[in-house]
Amino acid sequence: MRSEFVRIYKAVHTWTGIVAGMALFIAFYAGALTVFKEPLTRWASPPGEVRPVALADAQQLIVKTLAAHPDAAKDFTLYVQDAEDVPARLGWQVRSPDADEHDGSQVRHYAATLDAHGAAQVTETHPSRLAAFIDTLHRVVGLPVDSDPNRWVMGVIATLYALALVSGVVVLLPSLVKDFFALRVGKNLKRMWLDAHNVVGIVSLPFHLVMALTAVVFAYHDGIYAVQDRLLHDGKWSTAFQRPRPAPGAAERDPATMLPPLEILARVREQAPGFEPTLLQYQQATGPRAVVRVWGKDAAAVSPRARGGFAAVDPYSGKVVGSDFLPGRQSTPNLFISSFFALHMAAFGGTPVQWMYFLLGLAGAWLFYSGNLLWVESRRKKQARQGGELPVQRLDVRLMAAATVGVCLGCVCGVSLAIVGSKWLHGLAGDTNAWLPALYYGAFFASIGWAFLRGAARASVHLLWLAAALTAAIPLTSLLAWSLPSLGLWAHGSAASLGVDATALAGAGAFAWMARATARRVRYGTPDSVWSASGVQAKPAAGVPSVQTPR
Amino acid sequence: MAAANLPPIRRDWLSKTLAGFVLGAVLALGCSGLFLQFNADMPLSVRGQLAMWMVPPVWLGVLGGVFFFASGLRAWLWLGGAGALVLGALSALRLS
Repeated sequence: MRSEFVRIYKAVHTWTGIVAGMALFIAFYAGALTVFKEPLTRWASPPGEVRPVALADAQQLIVKTLAAHPDAAKDFTLYVQDAEDVPARLGWQVRSPDADEHDGSQVRHYAATLDAHGAAQVTETHPSRLAAFIDTLHRVVGLPVDSDPNRWVMGVIATLYALALVSGVVVLLPSLVKDFFALRVGKNLKRMWLDAHNVVGIVSLPFHLVMALTAVVFAYHDGIYAVQDRLLHDGKWSTAFQRPRPAPGAAERDPATMLPPLEILARVREQAPGFEPTLLQYQQATGPRAVVRVWGKDAAAVSPRARGGFAAVDPYSGKVVGSDFLPGRQSTPNLFISSFFALHMAAFGGTPVQWMYFLLGLAGAWLFYSGNLLWVESRRKKQARQGGELPVQRLDVRLMAAATVGVCLGCVCGVSLAIVGSKWLHGLAGDTNAWLPALYYGAFFASIGWAFLRGAARASVHLLWLAAALTAAIPLTSLLAWSLPSLGLWAHGSAASLGVDATALAGAGAFAWMARATARRVRYGTPDSVWSASGVQAKPAAGVPSVQTPR
Repeated sequence: MAAANLPPIRRDWLSKTLAGFVLGAVLALGCSGLFLQFNADMPLSVRGQLAMWMVPPVWLGVLGGVFFFASGLRAWLWLGGAGALVLGALSALRLS
C-alpha cells in the first residue's frame, strides 16, 4: 500500500478518534455494566414486604386483580421466577402517553397480591432504576435521557467510531505482521502503549465492528425506515406489522376461563425443551385476540432481545400461535435479524458470553482512553538533553490530557457513586431514582473540574483513588448492611447480588493498582511530559531544574 | 521507487468525504432496494427489516473506503457511476 494512503487514514483515525473517544469511553464503560443489568437491579432492590402468591394460585390472582382493575387487562405480567427485583407475582405498568418509548422514567408500576382473605391487593411500586440509568448513559453516550435528538448525537459518535475502526485497520495493515502481538515493554512508553492499543484493537475488531454498525442502526432506524417507505415500500411499511382488526362489538371474555399459568408453561416447555421461561406477559387478556408472551431464555440459542425471547400463546386454548421470537425456533431470516440484536446485547451463549462481553466492553473503554493518551504523547515536547531546560507542553495537549482524565475517570466515579447512593438514599430521600442523575453528574462534573484545576498528572492519581474508594464502597455497603442491620440497609445473598459485590471489589482493586502505578509515573517519570508533576509546573522563565531523583 | 511514477494522491478532504457520505447513501439505499426486489417472496416485515439493516454497513463501508480514491473527482465519478448502475438496475427491475 502506498504510504500516502496510510498518512491520509492516519489523519482520519486521529480526528474521528479524538472527537468521539471520550463519548465512546462512557458508552463502553456503562455498556459493560449494562450486560449485568439484571444482577445490578437485584442488588439495588430493597427487600419486598408483599405476601408472595404461589404460582399454582396465580390464576386466582389474575382473575381477582382483573375484576378490581379491568384496565390492567391490556398488558400485565406474571413473574415465574422469584428474584429481589420482582415485587409481587403480578404487576403492570402505566406509561405516560407523551413520553419517548425508550424513556422508562415516566412509567408507573403496580403490583398485585392476595391478602389473607383472598382479595386482590394492589400497591404502586417504585422499582430501582439504577441499572436503567446506567443503560441510558450507555445508549446516549453519557446524556441523561434516551430521546430522539440524543440518539442522533449517539449516531454521529457511532459513525465516527466506525470510521475510526476502518482507518485504524488501514493504518496498521502494512506493519500488522511485524507489530501484531509485539508488545514492546521497555523504556519507550509510547511504543508500549501503541502496541497495546493495536493488540486490543485488532483482537476485539469483530466485536467493535458489530457495536459500531448496530449502534448506527439503533440511532437512525426510524429515519432509514421512513426513507425506504417512501422510495422502496411505496408507503406500505406501516401495514407490515398490522394484524387484522377484530370484528367490533366482540364480547369481553372471562379471564377465569383462561388456562392456568402452570398449564401454559407446561405447553411451552413441551414445545421448546431447553427454553427457561421467566415471565408471562398477557396482552388484551379479555379481548378477542388475547395472547400471552411466554418470555424466557435459552442459553443454547440466539435470543432476539436482551431479556430473551418469547413464545406467543393463546391463553384460552393453550396453542402456541407464534414462534417468530422464540429462541432456537425462528425462521432463518428472523434469526438473522435477531442475531444483530443478540450480538450487540450478548443475548446468546448464556453467562460465559456475558462475561466475555463485559471484559470486551471494558477493553473497549480502555482502547479509547489509550487512544487519547497516544494523541497527547505524540504531541509531547521533549527535553533537549539531560539537565537542560524543561519545555512547556502545549496548552491544547495539557487541556486534552485533563479532559480525558476528567471525563473518563469522572464517568467511573459517577457510576460507582450512583450505585452506592441508590442503597444509602433509599428511605431517606423520597424517590431514590430521582437522585441518580444528581449523584452521577455531580461526581462527573466535579471530576472534570478537578482535572482542569489540578492538571492531568495530579488529578489522575486523585481521581483513580476516588474511583477505587467509591467502587470499594459497593461491597462495603453490603458488608455494613449485613453486620449492622439497624442501619436499615440490606444485602441480598443471591449469587447475582453477591456477584455485583465481588466484581466491584475486583474493580476497586484494579483502580487502586492503577492509582499506585500512576502516582509512581507522576512522581518519578520523565519530567518533560504532561504526566509529570514537575513537567506541568515548569515555566519557561523560571528555569526549574529537571527533577530526576525521587522527592 | 515505482511510486515516483504514479500520480500523487490528493487529499481532497471535503469532496471525498461528501462523495462517501452522499453517494454512499445512494448506493446503500439502492442496494437495499435490489435486495427487496430479489426477495419479494419474504414477508414484508422481515425483508423490510433486513433491508434497513443493510443500509448502514454499505453506507459506512463506502464512507470508510472513499479515501482510497486518488482524488475527490475520481471518487465522485466512480461512486456516481456505481450509484447510477444500481439505481438503473433497480428501476429496470421495478418497472418490468
